[in-house]
Amino acid sequence: MTNLLRKTLQNNWIYLAILVALIVLPHAIGWFTGDGPFGMQVGRRFMVIGQSVTWQGRLSQIFIFAILAMSYNIIFGFTGVISFGHALFFGIGGYMLGVMLQFSDLGVNEAMIFGVVGGLILSGIASFAMGLVSLRLRGVYFAVFTLAVAEAVYIYFTRYRPTGAEDGFTFSDMPTFIEPTRNPLNFYYISLILCVLVFLFIRRLMYSPTGAIMLAIRENEERAKSIGYDTLRYKLFAITVAGMIASLAGMLHVMLNSKRVGPEILGVNFTVEPLLMTIIGGVGTFLGPVIGAAGLRVSESTLRELVITIGDNRINVGDSWEIILGFLFIIVVMVFPQGVVGTWMRWRATRQAKRLNAAISSQKATASGD
Amino acid sequence: MTETDNIMLKVEDIHTFIGQFHILEGVSVSVTQGSITVLLGRNGAGKTTTLRSIMGLNPPGQGQIIFDGQPIGGKRPFHIAQMGIGYVPEHRAVFKELSVRENLEIAERKRGDLDAKSDLIFELFPDLKRLYHLPGGNLSGGQQQMLSIARALVPDNKLLLIDEPSEGLAPVIIEQLMEAIRILSKQTTILLVEQNFTMASKLADHYVIIDDGHSPVHGAMRDLIGDKALIQRYLGVA
Amino acid sequence: MNTMTEERKVTLVIVAGITLALLVFSFVTTGDAGDFAITIMSGLFQGMLLFLVASGLSIVFGLMDILNFAQGAFFMIGAYIGYEIHHATGLIDIIPDPNIRFVLSLIGATMIGAIMGWILERVLLRPLYVRPLFQLVLTFGVALVMLEIVKSIWGVRPRNWTDTFSILESSFTVFGQPFTLYRPFVVVVGIALIISIALLLNRTRIGIIIRAGVEDAEMVEALGINVRAVFTLVFTLGSAVAALGGGVAAPFLGASLEMGNAFLLAAIAVVVLGGLGSYEGTAIASILVGLSVAVVAKFATQYINQPVWASITPMLVLIIILLIRPSGLFGKER
Repeated sequence: MTNLLRKTLQNNWIYLAILVALIVLPHAIGWFTGDGPFGMQVGRRFMVIGQSVTWQGRLSQIFIFAILAMSYNIIFGFTGVISFGHALFFGIGGYMLGVMLQFSDLGVNEAMIFGVVGGLILSGIASFAMGLVSLRLRGVYFAVFTLAVAEAVYIYFTRYRPTGAEDGFTFSDMPTFIEPTRNPLNFYYISLILCVLVFLFIRRLMYSPTGAIMLAIRENEERAKSIGYDTLRYKLFAITVAGMIASLAGMLHVMLNSKRVGPEILGVNFTVEPLLMTIIGGVGTFLGPVIGAAGLRVSESTLRELVITIGDNRINVGDSWEIILGFLFIIVVMVFPQGVVGTWMRWRATRQAKRLNAAISSQKATASGD
Repeated sequence: MTETDNIMLKVEDIHTFIGQFHILEGVSVSVTQGSITVLLGRNGAGKTTTLRSIMGLNPPGQGQIIFDGQPIGGKRPFHIAQMGIGYVPEHRAVFKELSVRENLEIAERKRGDLDAKSDLIFELFPDLKRLYHLPGGNLSGGQQQMLSIARALVPDNKLLLIDEPSEGLAPVIIEQLMEAIRILSKQTTILLVEQNFTMASKLADHYVIIDDGHSPVHGAMRDLIGDKALIQRYLGVA
Repeated sequence: MNTMTEERKVTLVIVAGITLALLVFSFVTTGDAGDFAITIMSGLFQGMLLFLVASGLSIVFGLMDILNFAQGAFFMIGAYIGYEIHHATGLIDIIPDPNIRFVLSLIGATMIGAIMGWILERVLLRPLYVRPLFQLVLTFGVALVMLEIVKSIWGVRPRNWTDTFSILESSFTVFGQPFTLYRPFVVVVGIALIISIALLLNRTRIGIIIRAGVEDAEMVEALGINVRAVFTLVFTLGSAVAALGGGVAAPFLGASLEMGNAFLLAAIAVVVLGGLGSYEGTAIASILVGLSVAVVAKFATQYINQPVWASITPMLVLIIILLIRPSGLFGKER
């Protein structure tokens, strides 16, 4: 038993270290800067502001995008199906939660529960239905079909008056204990926990027999089919699970985003972002989407605020951060052919192989020396 | 004339990787000018990869390939083809959307190549004349094979690489193809991959056995025909 | 000569059926010959605009398997370049005739598009042919950079033509309805482009090579043809045509930052709808989608007061067609 524990610790110490760091971080920042993790005293009032709170918000956003990117990685990275319509499920989650909290007659806690459960179920149904009609399409046809469905829904909601058309709507009330503006630390921990749970779930899934078949479909669907697996069923499972997890990310997103629900959460940007995050981090790796999400978000938020002063010239990088982001894509794509995690894993593998080779040849040398 | 003058193609100890797989682990083939040499071996032994390595489609990681006195390793496929190698791949690779005429025209390296060769082509494969304006996709398997060989004849090639011409074809058509290859061998050098041992033994002057990424045995075809043990060992046919 | 397969016949019947249904529906619901003519004309107009973006996308995808997300950006840049040349103060002094300057602006836009396409292919895409997925990301990054460059040069304010010229100003009447001459002009340009690309593909050696490359680029290379050079050429052409499209569309639509992406999605839909790798499919699908949009737009504004349906129409047409034909109208299973 202790052996098993030690082994688990040995294999996962990096993950555990990151996790502990993330748990401690809000308090650490608070301790260093003097701005407490719950907020700070301004004059006679206690306000939810300060360094720690700002960073909690940023990190929560990273967790949310990590969840979205991980969900995308289930279909794209592990099953080998490219969908361009993932934003649809993200948006369904956000809209369902918002509509329940704003337009239903339920109490705030009940509305929250119904919103979350309803959003999960609705996105599950939607992704299942989408997969059912479209998964027999191949490659790009599937990708563009899903894009068309998501775009049609997006365009429809930009003109749909009851939900505020293009401007969207803001829900006024939500349970206080997780409201990001009042209890950012709670929201931070909840999104962290969800992020960890999704990570563990995906890892568990991919080491299960179902996951093995998904990988087989990615490698060669025809062969998986000829061995006798009903590949459509597994792809359908993957897209449904991915859709439900994406809707979860969508719910967290609208809560954090000043409780505003607008059609842009159904837009193609929320497909492209997880796609890029996955590719940049490493397609089909567990940590890749998380790294990609963190990298993209952090570089975006730093670039937005960066002002460089050279002599008397102040260059406001924030004005042109998108152009830098574009160049960043291009560079990362050229430099990291397998994504960050993939390239790192390959580098480690070659290093280990070299060490092994060195060990073997030195052994051989001593053996022949006798 | 020394012996090296007679060598059209010399493949020396090539190693070829496809992805992570080490497909060829040291294959050597030498083809004498004006002869038909056949690569024999079981399925998956590496015969097709050997031809693709020569063409530069799966460039070898190690070893040397010398064609007509010049090393061609590391050159792009189009460049290798332009030096005078015609390639007739496995499964024919006829362009299905293009007409027979266009399939032949695309192989021209200079204007007028096709006009100069059309008599020869129609003499070898009279069917193609009748089908000249049909899309390649409408042709039968045998007709596609003829078109694929004819395509390699359009420019002046010094060497033809022909991969399994008889695959999936009826005996009558195989006869016709054999006859064509025999006529061609009078004016050009041929390196053939062929599973059909009867056909190979009737056509070829030399053989090279490819086995599991190696080339253990080679020699004159007439010696192999008598060596039942060798045939049994590498080809599994008696 | 019988090259018509059974499948092709069915496809043509489907296309003819849909077109006829659209025409009849439009005629019955508008109930007025002038309105009807305008609806159809505007459908053709929109179809041709779509084709200007989609044609390059289609050939590039067919040959190189790259879904070029930067195609919309080339369209947008063509529009801005066209505006700049047409309104350049120095040029107005030298060439006062706005019609000549309009032609010059088209030539300029096309050339800039060609140069940018050439650079993109040679410098950025070429190292990535072994990793197609990354080409997708790369073209996306390039589109982002191009959009931002345009934004930093021209700002966010859209450009509208202040300096008009004769085809843009003139109009004529159809069944008593006034009609600007510019729409038929765009339709004529589109048809001329369809025909010239078709001639290029079917009648020239480079066209034969491109069509063969769409099927099997490796075999083309093995026949002694430098396929990478053909890729560069085709990509350059595709970008040039998109920029030309921008230049043609701009006097009517104006030049704006949104126009690239707005057309890109519909153009991708059109390429897939027509069937990947099929040039004629793209041409037919463009017209089909353009007509559908115009007919639905007319109906939706006139009767149900829900103009949103017109914007969704390209997507809906695509969804419906793909459900009937999983490989698009003229696509091959691949």
